[in-house]
Amino acid sequence: MLNSFRQELRRAFMLLPRPGWLLLLTAVYIFLSTNWSPVEYVELGEAQIVQTTKPQVCVHTLLENEVQERKIKRSLELVREMGATTIVQFFPWAYFEPNDDKYNWTQADLIVRHAKNQGLRIIARLGLVPDWARPAASDGRATTLNYLPEASFDDFAQYASRLAARYREEIRHFIIWNEPNLSFEWGYRPVDPAAYVRLLKLSYPAIKDANPQAVVLAGALAPTNEIQGSPAGLNENLYLREMYSSGGAPYFDALAVHSYGATESADAEPGAGRLNFRRLEFLRQIMLEAGDGAKPVFITESGWNDHPRWSGAVRPSQRLQYTIKAFEYVEANWPWVEQLCIWAFRYPAPLNGYPDNFTLVSPEFMLKPIYYAIQDYARGWERGATQWLPPPEEP
Amino acid sequence: MNKRVRLALSLGLLVISSSLLYLFASLTERPADKVKAFPRGIIVVGVDASVPPFASDDGQAVHGLDIDLAKAIARMIDLPIRFVNIGYYGLYDALISGEVDILISALRVEEARMDDVRYTRHYFDNGLLLVAPVDEPVASLDGLAGLKVSYEFGSRADTELRKLEDKNEAATRLPYELPTYALDSLRLEYADAAIVDAITLRLYQRRFTDWNTAERYLSRDHYAIAARRDNRDAWRLVDGTLAALKESGELDKIIAMWL
Repeated sequence: MLNSFRQELRRAFMLLPRPGWLLLLTAVYIFLSTNWSPVEYVELGEAQIVQTTKPQVCVHTLLENEVQERKIKRSLELVREMGATTIVQFFPWAYFEPNDDKYNWTQADLIVRHAKNQGLRIIARLGLVPDWARPAASDGRATTLNYLPEASFDDFAQYASRLAARYREEIRHFIIWNEPNLSFEWGYRPVDPAAYVRLLKLSYPAIKDANPQAVVLAGALAPTNEIQGSPAGLNENLYLREMYSSGGAPYFDALAVHSYGATESADAEPGAGRLNFRRLEFLRQIMLEAGDGAKPVFITESGWNDHPRWSGAVRPSQRLQYTIKAFEYVEANWPWVEQLCIWAFRYPAPLNGYPDNFTLVSPEFMLKPIYYAIQDYARGWERGATQWLPPPEEP
Repeated sequence: MNKRVRLALSLGLLVISSSLLYLFASLTERPADKVKAFPRGIIVVGVDASVPPFASDDGQAVHGLDIDLAKAIARMIDLPIRFVNIGYYGLYDALISGEVDILISALRVEEARMDDVRYTRHYFDNGLLLVAPVDEPVASLDGLAGLKVSYEFGSRADTELRKLEDKNEAATRLPYELPTYALDSLRLEYADAAIVDAITLRLYQRRFTDWNTAERYLSRDHYAIAARRDNRDAWRLVDGTLAALKESGELDKIIAMWL
């Protein structure tokens, strides 16, 4: 009886896959469920120098999410060939310090190495909070990557210091946070200029200790008409005034601002409530009133959008005209502006929405007419060729 | 019994037991809980009201296809609705932080967001269309060889056409500043075919109702509603309601109102 039971058990066991098969199946499963790809070898190439007649031309790149090194290299080659001297590039804290005091600089190293090789200056934009530095979700409400609790200000400053130290030779400019006057950029909390100044107070000396030559940029303020108490944010002019009244002046060397043209030409007059390129003049006036006029301004995001249906867009031909006019206007009228950076050079993947129409180059590296227009301007070329046919006429 | 048969039997058993487990889980799953889904007793919808005809803001209220769709869903769920107008870049943060319950904002399904978000079935496809006269349809990009094709310079259509450049008999390309010019070119017979997205074509056809075309999708671009991943009840309620709206023909009526 026992023997018969043992035989049955053995037979049943034989029906199961052998360990070898199990191992093979496990290996196949692991292979299929991971994003394995062959190791990519990309040559750095010869060191380059930017050929340009307009050193203030700059563009915001988004290489932090670019997986392939060859695409990082190609992007930066195209930036250089366009005649831009400088890039604004995001260095997200959450990516490079995913665990407390455990850094992974792989992607940052790639970006910096290729940018340096193309002869490009980097303005590093800092932000995005790792999980370990912000509160966990509760009651179905998670904190977003932009939620920086005051308890983590020190950790952020330490990250900034580490970044500044690691790239002491390659990066001199650091933007502390992005659009802190918008609530969603402040972690979906009411914006708080005084708290932002406290963040500057910690970050500024931390960066300077790591690199005394560093230039710390505050703000990257977004243009908005939100009034005091609005859940969406605060008018950038009011925000800057509060930064000064909170004692922020000693803790930044330059002001970063975002100056979009919306649907108006670059030389359109600024006015109360108008969102246009020259609205920035109000911010400059506040700097002057605060006795801070010696500091330069960096326009770290700007541009026009040519989506066919977005309410904030212009026609593609207007986009070309207005963008070039913006560069000309800065050169002729705003000596206090050091860089004008266009948002955005290229997304790694299409968003299939109107933000795609802010870019100069498609994810597939197709150069858009705006790329050629800026290249003509920066390099002093006069191709002047129309990129498209005239509108078809009714017979 | 040889090894192959044993392996096949084992795998078969695995598949059958997994299927039974899934079936059991599906049958015993409790109905979606409206209170858990929308604990505020109101459906708070995040929308970027800057992209007509899906959503726009006239200063008094928001209007558009997404707005009507959201209202239809709220009616069926039997809850009041509130819209929060958010810029594109803040939409997903608003959802994740609980500021809004769902997003209905011409959102494309993005795989990269699926750790945080569940998408419903799609309600619109804004893929690229290859458009040709109704009596001379073109079946595919390969069929464009030797033809004149119009498109918007620098658009997704442009990208697709450039992929054909290496082929021996590429199409003659007619780039225009605007996608509507590309359709003008086709309608006025300068071009043999045009490539535009579905929204552009539908809006154009509302202006030229007598103009008949044959279209074929070259790519898909599905719009869906997003809910937080941890709010499965909201996702199930909204997805189920969307299915019912599709089934009843109500969704088609809403789309036809705006496109």
